[in-house]
Amino acid sequence: MVEFSPETIEMVIRSVSVIAAGLALIAGIGPGVGMGFAAGKATSAVRRQPEARGSIVTTMLLGQIISGSTGIYSLVIAIYLVFT
Amino acid sequence: MNPGPQVVTHLFGKSYLPVTDTLLIGWLSVILIIILAKYLTKNLKLRPEGKQNVAELMVTAIYDQIEPMLPGEGWRFLPFIATIFIYIGFCNLIGFVPGLTSPTGDLNTTLGLALVVFLVSHYEGMREKGVWGYFKSFGQPVIFLLPLNIVSEFAKPISHSFRLFGNIVGGGIIITLIYQAAPGLVPVPLHAWFDLFIGLIQALIFGMVAISYISVAKS
Repeated sequence: MVEFSPETIEMVIRSVSVIAAGLALIAGIGPGVGMGFAAGKATSAVRRQPEARGSIVTTMLLGQIISGSTGIYSLVIAIYLVFT
Repeated sequence: MNPGPQVVTHLFGKSYLPVTDTLLIGWLSVILIIILAKYLTKNLKLRPEGKQNVAELMVTAIYDQIEPMLPGEGWRFLPFIATIFIYIGFCNLIGFVPGLTSPTGDLNTTLGLALVVFLVSHYEGMREKGVWGYFKSFGQPVIFLLPLNIVSEFAKPISHSFRLFGNIVGGGIIITLIYQAAPGLVPVPLHAWFDLFIGLIQALIFGMVAISYISVAKS
């Protein structure tokens, strides 16, 4: 049985949590793809009906906000892992 | 580069009532907004000119956001929503001044605002449908979904507050990292993006999500 000193354990926990923070930001892929898809659909909708531009932009922004929250959750978890 | 509120001083002795920089800068921006509003609305005329045009443009721009989602009640919700828009926009922009940090980069500020929106949306739902009718709407369409509806209702203020907090703090961390890697003129354009553009967009988004939560609770 190998005994580790408390400093070694502390250092391992710190380095692993920094790596985990980096891995948590992989979640940024999902919101990026989803928001880009919504923006592309909104662009073609504006081309088809330019007079409905205001309501299309509002609906697009609301959908992007909802799909963007997952990215924000991963960012908050990454901040928590790095700074505690 | 430690995010979050820093304790500046203590009221009443050494350890009671800590005063953070968030609190001081939040009150500073409140006072600046009051002075700005007093200045913009001084001697109003029927035919607007000069600074009165700015004030009318802000009011009608916010009104145009509210009216399509809450039909017929734009003027009733205008004071509440306009307060959120202007306060958050001002708090995000005040981080542009060197030496000051954005009060919205602190979870306490954003969670407080999100809880106010949460309470207002539930109050409006009960006002629209009656207390019992509103609670019955959580069991729709089948009673089996009641726990899921309650959990999603409590997830709303959390995601609402963490979105603003995460955007502001994330931008600040990226700018700090680039200041360490490449000091000088390199990070200056990034301030325009993260402080000006993202700050104003996030204020707009916070207000629009508040409007949509209220309109969801009423329908």
